[in-house]
Amino acid sequence: GKWKNKERVLIFSSRGINFRTRHLMQDLRTLMPHSKADTKMDRKDQLFVINEVCEMKNCNKCIFFEAKKKQDLYMWLSNTPQGPSAKFLVQNIHTLAELKMTGNCLRGSRPLLSFDPIFDKEPHYALLKELFIQIFSTPQYHPKSQPFVDHVFTFTVTDERIWFRNYQIIEEDASLVEIGPRFVLNLIKIFQGSFGGPTLYENPHYQSPNMHRRLIRLSVAAKFREKQQVKEVQKIKKKGSKVLIKEDPTEVVFETPAEERPVEIQLVKPESKPIVKDKKKLRKIQRKKQKKLFRTE
Amino acid sequence: VVDPVSQSASNKDAVDPENDFQREMSFYRQAQAAVLEALPRLRKLQVPTRRPDDYFAEMAKSDQQMQKIRQKLKSKQEAMERSEKAKQLRAMRKYGKKVQTEILQRRQKEKKNMLNAVKKYQKGLSDKLDFLDEEQASSQGNKKGNASQRIKKGPNAKRRYKNQKFGFGGKKKGSKWNTKESFNDVSSFRSKVAHNKGPGKAGKGGKKALNKRPGKRARQKMKSRAR
Repeated sequence: GKWKNKERVLIFSSRGINFRTRHLMQDLRTLMPHSKADTKMDRKDQLFVINEVCEMKNCNKCIFFEAKKKQDLYMWLSNTPQGPSAKFLVQNIHTLAELKMTGNCLRGSRPLLSFDPIFDKEPHYALLKELFIQIFSTPQYHPKSQPFVDHVFTFTVTDERIWFRNYQIIEEDASLVEIGPRFVLNLIKIFQGSFGGPTLYENPHYQSPNMHRRLIRLSVAAKFREKQQVKEVQKIKKKGSKVLIKEDPTEVVFETPAEERPVEIQLVKPESKPIVKDKKKLRKIQRKKQKKLFRTE
Repeated sequence: VVDPVSQSASNKDAVDPENDFQREMSFYRQAQAAVLEALPRLRKLQVPTRRPDDYFAEMAKSDQQMQKIRQKLKSKQEAMERSEKAKQLRAMRKYGKKVQTEILQRRQKEKKNMLNAVKKYQKGLSDKLDFLDEEQASSQGNKKGNASQRIKKGPNAKRRYKNQKFGFGGKKKGSKWNTKESFNDVSSFRSKVAHNKGPGKAGKGGKKALNKRPGKRARQKMKSRAR
């Protein structure tokens, strides 16, 4: 058939990504035959430069991975000339190469896309759903694609995040095995333009990773401070005002003066006790002596 | 362009995101529902879904990778099997030991019974050679041996049990000690033999000096005199 759907996705990243992100990027490139790769973008260029890069490569969609602080990974999904675009925080990445993912699929086969019903209920989710559909589905009759449908992408919303899974279809009765990769997307913002423009939607449940780390540190500090405070309170309690009891006049009744003892002054040093190294031996000798006496009696 | 997209109506109200297994199962079920819905539609649209066996093409994961995965799975399974086998061996050994001790005990019991039966026969208590036939299940109450008009009771049950346990040899340990009865029992004293009086056995006559052994003192005297 004729290849009409000319979707092209540019997948690339910024500098400073770690091995896991790099593998994820490569996995996405293998799974999506309609993708194009590009070199790493320099940090100093601003984001709208990406639009020009896409223009040069003749792509109309883009997946851009941005790594910050060598810890946090952000993913931009964008429709390049006019937008919209969305920024996500990516977590829990597992790549194709993990040995627990035992499934396999044809390289370039077209996927089924499966969405949670929630994607239809909210407008921002509906927008994201459309973006996902256009980016992740392989166009029909693409020259690099295979004609069979043998795997399934699932997008599920749980815990205010979007979970992505990829399963291989083994049998017609829908027995599935996971191929990988897997990741979790935490939506930050949706913009009207591509990599910029007015904000269409901001996720209220989103907490930046810095904030998250800060909160953890604060909680630990708070615990410590609390312990200190408790200690201080205890100290104060201990020192605190002791109640003065009034003197009881009837108490004197029970006082009996002690007997006077003659004052003895020792002039001669008392003889020192013999140093016994082995008390048991001494006792043994004593017993023997007693026995002897007993016998002779 | 046919975009195969489907939604699954799964109620995920009770899915706890922290419970990994539950969460993954819900994803799995969503995918399954999607597949079950989509495959008939694809078939209707004549999009092929099953790969024929002779269709070889490049896969998303290389063959090397799949080999590694297979190896890992195999090693895991082998480890499990080994542990299972070890457990079974241990259980079997325990059982085998129990069985063996039972067999030994049974053998000893049989031997004891056999010996008792032989002893009985030797002592003349029972003139039946039944013990030669393997099955011997008789009660051992017939001590006197005249079993003809024996009442079933015989000796006391306690007595019978003790006889069975301690055998017909009788009490072995104290057998050579003197008891009051055996001491006072002078039935085996023959005065004529002791004093060597009375007629000789085959009419021999004359003293048999050897019959009467002199006492210790007399012997000593004889010895000293002989020197």
